[in-house]
Amino acid sequence: MSEENAAQPPQQAPSESPAPSTPAAPAPAPPAGAPMGHSGPPSGGPGRFGGGGHGGPRPQGGGGRPGGGPGGPKRGKRSFVRKKKVCRFCVDKADFIDYKRAEILAPFIQERGKILPRRMTGTCARHQRWLTVAIKRAQNIALLPFAAEL
Amino acid sequence: MEERQYDLIFICRPDTPEPDVDKLIATLENTASEKGAKIEKVEKWGRKRMAYHVQRLREGYYVYLVLHSSQGEAVKELERRLKVSDAVIKYLTVRVDEELKRRDKLKRHRDRRAARRPRKTAPGAAAPAAPAPPAPAGEPSAAPA
Repeated sequence: MSEENAAQPPQQAPSESPAPSTPAAPAPAPPAGAPMGHSGPPSGGPGRFGGGGHGGPRPQGGGGRPGGGPGGPKRGKRSFVRKKKVCRFCVDKADFIDYKRAEILAPFIQERGKILPRRMTGTCARHQRWLTVAIKRAQNIALLPFAAEL
Repeated sequence: MEERQYDLIFICRPDTPEPDVDKLIATLENTASEKGAKIEKVEKWGRKRMAYHVQRLREGYYVYLVLHSSQGEAVKELERRLKVSDAVIKYLTVRVDEELKRRDKLKRHRDRRAARRPRKTAPGAAAPAAPAPPAPAGEPSAAPA
């Protein structure tokens, strides 16, 4: 947030609009190494929907996994390369996350009030660190809920 | 002692008349100046819906203050005032100067890098096209400048 935070929270700031990034566009070219013969475990990456048999040692070069459907793991078939999530705060070049602006924090909490983990939102480590502090402060002054109301 | 900056937010009951809020702010300002602190900014956000119930209320009148103080005594006293005030249902004080300092530092960093980048890319793009001896000579002289 480069501009002065004199702006009142209810006002929608022009720069950091919290529109959830929709992974519409197909991913650009996959990284140089072809995704086929990989054997290492997913490196803490966004294997969000955890395709079935994660964890065990994988057969080497077995032609990838069979399915790789829309919700499947990232490195299935080439045509289903998941779009890499990028930290929204890095995109906006945020040097500071203001706890007073609940509307920019709101997309990062669940409906029940939990803070979303990094693997869901793609936020980088540094910004997630700032973000959690900001969310917790906002909760304390009733700008964000601690838990959903029933 | 160095000066610290705090954000001070408090929430009044939504039915508090506006003059009462102003009076409360005035007393806070007095208290602050007695303790050698200064309220630099007052923002009344007005009635807002709170994210959860506080004292069975769902709405509150938010007031945001920026406080400059060099001793914690002032903060302590202001918080005590807010606690005993009947109109105030919630308050929060956050020390922000270190974060603001970090923000400014990062911003300076970024600006400096941004200022340097165009100069660096221009000779780099020109170099492969015409690998003339003056190009490397010009580059180091441009970088420290």
